[in-house]
Amino acid sequence: MLELKNIKLSYGNTQVLNGVDLSVNRGDVVSIIGPSGTGKTTLLKCINYLVKPSSGTIAFDQLHMDYAQADKKAIQAIRLRTAMVFQQFNVFKNMTVLQNVMDPLVVVQRKSQDEAREIALRELDRVGLSAKRDSYPSQLSGGQLQRTGIARALAVRPDVMLFDEPTSSLDPELVSEVLKVIKDVTSSGITSLLVTHEMQFAKNISNRIVFMDQGVVAADGSPAEIFDAPANPRLAQFLQTELAFH
Amino acid sequence: MIPELMTALPLTLVITFVALVAGFCLALITTTLRVVRIPILSSLAALYVSYARSVPVVLQLFVAFYGLPLLVAIFGMADFFTPTVAAMLGLSFYHGGYLSEVMRPAYLAVDRGQHDAADSLGYTFRQKMMGVVGPQAVHIALPGYGNALIYLTHNVALVMYIGAADVMATAHLIMERAYNQYQFETYLVLAVIYSIMCLIIWVIVRYFERRSPMYVPAVGRAKRVAMPSL
Ligand SMILES: Nc1ncnc2c1ncn2[C@@H]1O[C@H](COP(=O)(O)OP(=O)(O)O)[C@@H](O)[C@H]1O
Ligand SMILES: [Mg+2]
Repeated sequence: MLELKNIKLSYGNTQVLNGVDLSVNRGDVVSIIGPSGTGKTTLLKCINYLVKPSSGTIAFDQLHMDYAQADKKAIQAIRLRTAMVFQQFNVFKNMTVLQNVMDPLVVVQRKSQDEAREIALRELDRVGLSAKRDSYPSQLSGGQLQRTGIARALAVRPDVMLFDEPTSSLDPELVSEVLKVIKDVTSSGITSLLVTHEMQFAKNISNRIVFMDQGVVAADGSPAEIFDAPANPRLAQFLQTELAFH
Repeated sequence: MIPELMTALPLTLVITFVALVAGFCLALITTTLRVVRIPILSSLAALYVSYARSVPVVLQLFVAFYGLPLLVAIFGMADFFTPTVAAMLGLSFYHGGYLSEVMRPAYLAVDRGQHDAADSLGYTFRQKMMGVVGPQAVHIALPGYGNALIYLTHNVALVMYIGAADVMATAHLIMERAYNQYQFETYLVLAVIYSIMCLIIWVIVRYFERRSPMYVPAVGRAKRVAMPSL
């Protein structure tokens, strides 16, 4: 349903993405792993055109776009059908938890206040934040902020969820509350792309693992293929350091 | 003395108010041009801000008072620049440039991630500015804006140099008529008038600061507890 081909991107003189190919089928839960600075965040941002690749194409069901000739309509269509959860949460700081979840529904999707509110309350209940709905971001813990971000993303009813290291900025004791919510989301059947350093978690919830290294997809396979019998030597080395580290 | 000073107060307030409104609009346009980066226009905006911030305000007033008539003469229009009009224009120009250097850093201080989140959710540029980035920039800019207004109020006292009859000029008139007696008393009254004006500005700005949803009240911050001695 989502297919990226030959994505290239550089910041100034540093080439970050060197021709990434990635395809995701409906219902897939794909975890992207790989060393820091290898372009995982950048790749997710390409999907929403938050950064501009120098070349490559994206296909989203019938929609097709060449990044060399980016077109506003296609970008907006893709943005409306995907939802992103950020490493730094990026919850709107000038809104309460409830307003954060309602605002995109009212402003972008033009839903009525009542309808938006109803949807938002349901999603907040789902992530366990009903009690905090009138709090401002400055009054919340990292785990609560990230759950707000997830509720906001779910509320727009995306076809694909994009998670960018959703637990990497959290204090260790807050990680599990967020992982629990993500597990609930991915097991509901929504197509998901998840960048993570939580190897065990990725293994448990994903049906596919993508290993990114030096700006390309270096390995791609089932959790068993990737974790139990890594063919790529750099992957094997990466897994060893990750597992030793945790 | 005080009643006579008070008759000049409305003019001082009107000049301040005009410069406040016009300067705000000017700053908004200038900041937009500098942030959006349009080739020639952005450079002109930067040049303007640099002029407004580096040239002493009293000099800017002289430039406005003597320069603007020349400018309209080029276009064959009659000179309509009374000292009051020149004061309003000169101060608007100064305030707009100064305020732009409050607005631009405030805009840039809004976390990049807030843009990313709004963009990824499909907000248009306008929706993002009105609903997310704008309100946060306003919150960040408020203390600086309060300062800008106070500086503006102070600088209105300079309009007497180009002959506008504000409270300062009137005070000088009163003192000269009294053969330069009661100078201390007159200046003291002026000081009180300016203090009250600035206090009112401070209270209003503070009110908006507290009303902002991003305001963190002092009780919400960590309290300092004196270390109990052992
Ligand atoms: N806005 C930016 N400007 C310049 N360099 C950047 C920017 N964002 C990321 N980079 C660089 O691009 C590389 C890839 O970053 P990123 O996609 O965040 O990697 P990852 O998410 O895999 O850790 C890193 O070397 C990073 O320093
Ligand atoms: Mg990253």
